[in-house]
Amino acid sequence: MQEPREDILDFLKTQGFLNEKTVLQDNDSLSETGVIDSITLLQLIDFLEGKYNIQIPVEMITPENFDTLAGISQSVMKLKNG
Amino acid sequence: MDKCYVMAKATLTCKKCVLDATTPGISINDETGLCQFCEHYTPLSKEKKEEYRARMDTLLKSPPHRGKYDVIFALSGGVDSSYTLYRLKKEYPHLRILAVQFDNGFISETALENAQKFCDLTKSTYMHLTLDQIILQDTFSKAARSTGAYPGTAKYRASDICNTCISIIKQKIIELAITTKSPFIVFAFSPGQTDAPFVTLTKPFLVWMRKLFDGNLKAMGVTERDAYLIDAHLIQPGSPEPEVTIIHPFLIWEYNKPEFKKECIRLGWIDPDLKDHNSSNCLLNAFAIQNHLEKYHIHSYAYDLAALVRQGNMERDDAMKKLKVDASDASIEEVQRKLNL
Repeated sequence: MQEPREDILDFLKTQGFLNEKTVLQDNDSLSETGVIDSITLLQLIDFLEGKYNIQIPVEMITPENFDTLAGISQSVMKLKNG
Repeated sequence: MDKCYVMAKATLTCKKCVLDATTPGISINDETGLCQFCEHYTPLSKEKKEEYRARMDTLLKSPPHRGKYDVIFALSGGVDSSYTLYRLKKEYPHLRILAVQFDNGFISETALENAQKFCDLTKSTYMHLTLDQIILQDTFSKAARSTGAYPGTAKYRASDICNTCISIIKQKIIELAITTKSPFIVFAFSPGQTDAPFVTLTKPFLVWMRKLFDGNLKAMGVTERDAYLIDAHLIQPGSPEPEVTIIHPFLIWEYNKPEFKKECIRLGWIDPDLKDHNSSNCLLNAFAIQNHLEKYHIHSYAYDLAALVRQGNMERDDAMKKLKVDASDASIEEVQRKLNL
């Protein structure tokens, strides 16, 4: 399985406005840097559910889990590995 | 094949939609002639659409009767929301709807009349929601003068002024749904403006969104921010879960604005005949577009219109026409005067 981090970055570059040259650190806040807003977040969730065949529970959508590349990757891995 | 994007060739417009490489952040593949969004676009499957339709029917046919209303409806008085209110009540006649029109001080008289007319027609309760007009004008003025208060992605979805107005509406409507124990909120966003047909609200999500909007307002220099935000007590630890779902019907129904307009006019809706091609209710809009273009070189409707074209919900030529800015629009000067700009 490809690292969720790379898939997330691909998604943000192709479906969002993440500049090809922007370097994102694993713990950078995606919302505060404007990489995602509420709509992109929901698109990203939809993308991850399809890509990894997982269901992301709504209560899991918190800044701790979904505001950084590291948080999102870990959440996906956790759900994927049951 | 390697992706090969080129940036900012003055006349390069995506072959499929209306996005232009002169817009920051938009890139056109010089081999395919498509922008990054058209290149990766996958239309919603028929099955998925049917699944959404079934889910909306399940939710709206038997809403949990927890309070006085089943739906808090955001009604601008424009074509999309007037049509949605009518159709919602036609398809789900039992729904008890509170239709909220947010008056930002720039809503046309015709839009106010249209909203009330459609509430009468659909037997919905009408609510005229407004805030202190002086403070609101000062906030819009600060939004116009600000640069970068809404970072990144949000800049493409709407102008700084519209982002501010829409965020206030969202915050207040969600607050209203929680306090009236209404299980659903309906927004008539076009399929270009949103991608999720259903959004289940949770406290952490609302706390997050509140914090972000508070940050945007702060960045603009707005000091009195509480009136614009969800009452923090409603989402603090220990408070009940909101139990509210937002529904965007235009991601489920077909979207055909010219047909909606015809139907609305047949039902008594009056066209305010604004010079601005992108709004049928708000006099602030033309100025907001121009202000955004001047600050960021981004037409605040381009992304929305491009999505509609990409999805097959609008003709490309029609979208192109909507992107033409009429600088002679008298409303622009009037707004500048009102906002002391």
